[in-house]
Amino acid sequence: MGSVAPHKSTATHTGTLTMITKPARITMFALVLLTASPAFAQDNYKHGPDSMVQQGVPQGVVTQHKWTSKKVFPGTVRDYWIYVPSQYDGKSPAAVMVFQDGGGYVNTKRSFRIPTVFDNLIHKGEMPVTIGIFLNPGSIPPTKPGGKPRRNRSFEYDTLSGQYTRFLLEEILPEVAKRYKLSDDPSLRAICGISSGGICAWTVAWERPDQFGKVLSHVGSFTNIRGGHVYPALIRKTEPKPIRIFLQDGTNDLDNLHGSWPLSNRQMAAALKFSKYDHKFVMGTGGHNGRHGGAIMPESLKWLWRGWNEKTTAGEKKSK
Amino acid sequence: MTRFSTLACLAWTVLLCSSTASAQDMPLTQVLLPGESWQLVGSGYRFTEGPAVDSAGNVFFTDIPNDRIHRIDAATGKISVFAEKSARTNGLMFGSDGLLYGCRNGDKQVVAYASDGSHSVIASDIACNDLVVGSDLRLFVTDPGGGKVWTIGPKRHKRVVAEGISPNGVILWPGEGTLVVTERNAPHLWTYRVEPDGSLSHRERYYLPLRLLPGRDRPGSDGMTVDTNGRLYVTSYAGVQMFDPTGRMGGVIAKPYRGSLANVVFGGPKRNVMYVTAGDRVYRRKTRVQGVAYFLKPNARRR
Repeated sequence: MGSVAPHKSTATHTGTLTMITKPARITMFALVLLTASPAFAQDNYKHGPDSMVQQGVPQGVVTQHKWTSKKVFPGTVRDYWIYVPSQYDGKSPAAVMVFQDGGGYVNTKRSFRIPTVFDNLIHKGEMPVTIGIFLNPGSIPPTKPGGKPRRNRSFEYDTLSGQYTRFLLEEILPEVAKRYKLSDDPSLRAICGISSGGICAWTVAWERPDQFGKVLSHVGSFTNIRGGHVYPALIRKTEPKPIRIFLQDGTNDLDNLHGSWPLSNRQMAAALKFSKYDHKFVMGTGGHNGRHGGAIMPESLKWLWRGWNEKTTAGEKKSK
Repeated sequence: MTRFSTLACLAWTVLLCSSTASAQDMPLTQVLLPGESWQLVGSGYRFTEGPAVDSAGNVFFTDIPNDRIHRIDAATGKISVFAEKSARTNGLMFGSDGLLYGCRNGDKQVVAYASDGSHSVIASDIACNDLVVGSDLRLFVTDPGGGKVWTIGPKRHKRVVAEGISPNGVILWPGEGTLVVTERNAPHLWTYRVEPDGSLSHRERYYLPLRLLPGRDRPGSDGMTVDTNGRLYVTSYAGVQMFDPTGRMGGVIAKPYRGSLANVVFGGPKRNVMYVTAGDRVYRRKTRVQGVAYFLKPNARRR
């Protein structure tokens, strides 16, 4: 069990930042300078009021934890955070939303500011009382002097298999459920990620739509990092699954050896449309970062959770 | 600094930044040199294997059915016989003691060859295929038929550290904390954490997927080598497959001919020349990267 504090004071919960080396910090500083120049104005997205702390809105609590995997990714260690809204009463099961690269999403000073956005939307009834689970990718620390950690992010996020889904279902959700009542209705279980975390979110729902019915992807890597470029083809030739998905990308996203992110996301959107999925695709002008996705986070969540308080199941909600 | 180079520097900064969310992208263009392609080094052998580099950059390889180990001179490219009656010696690698360790499979022995071609026995009763020698002279040896990976410590005590797979090629990461093992028929490479006592833990299908040729379900992955940036190279039916340090395939280097490839190493005085053993031949090509030599102290590995 980690420290307990209102999320207002969790700005230091920057698990990923603390691992960034000094040269990388200098590099990031250089990027900040660059983004201020007109050439990078396509990333100039602004947060709205739902991404800012509002007076009179009760704040949930964020706690930080560590997890050592024993089953699915044995030997990996990772930080994770749990957000519990103040409206959670401990009696009725809460909706669940899982975030890959959780250290970024849980940070209330960076792009996504999920605890603040959740506070505001839950308060207004625009999404259900939702417990947020923010997981960093794992790494296997070396035990031999001079060895480097085996960074497991790509293996966990980019692999097309049910392994990450099993990790959630067999390790993380049971652990969180020891303390909190979680809904097992797939229409009340969402998953979100950026880049490789985005395709990971889709893979989780694709593998187990009976467990996760909602997906939010930011600059998702539907490219050939580990074969993920095949999803549009699979979606077109597979009986549609009860998944609701919001996709965000930008025209200046990556184009590298793994593929073109803008083209791959367009292919995903076209395939989802062809197979009549309940989907929304927003193409901005940004690059491979969370600025656009962060700015539209409240609207994305409102769309994803719309109709949540009507008694529905994932099966009834599919194929709008 | 000119305006152009300032811009190039900034562009590089942005590239680095975009990669902080994931890992740095490593396309083949960082490995291959424009205009450089494969050159035939030697032919007329029966089955070449076990390429190994010494501290001067000379490359040794074995011609298994002919029971000979050959030496390619780093300066002249001339090939000479290093050892004969080598009892189907297969995998080879130099240790920090200057000895050439080898899988003397005809005798079911792991041996160490001295500079005169004579050998001493390191371990017996191991049907061995390939090996890797750590900077501390700890060996990891594959036994495909027995389905075992063995380790032999500096005191020459052997023991099994992995079972249940059919291991073939074997290599360490540059920091030697992770061991990678190939299975010829598996569409992935295995990684293990190397514990200080040489035992292996936390097995994972880390390198995945491998490139398969159309219509085939087996990659034919065999020998491996690594460069100083942590890239891993594995021979296969499709060519030499290159992976970045996070297990993502970065590209396939075309084969020099239509036949099969068995193993790969970086040789030459700067260890920037990729050598492949290929059926009855050996090929090489110059690259932009540098191979890792575990026999050098870590701070002496880069030149």
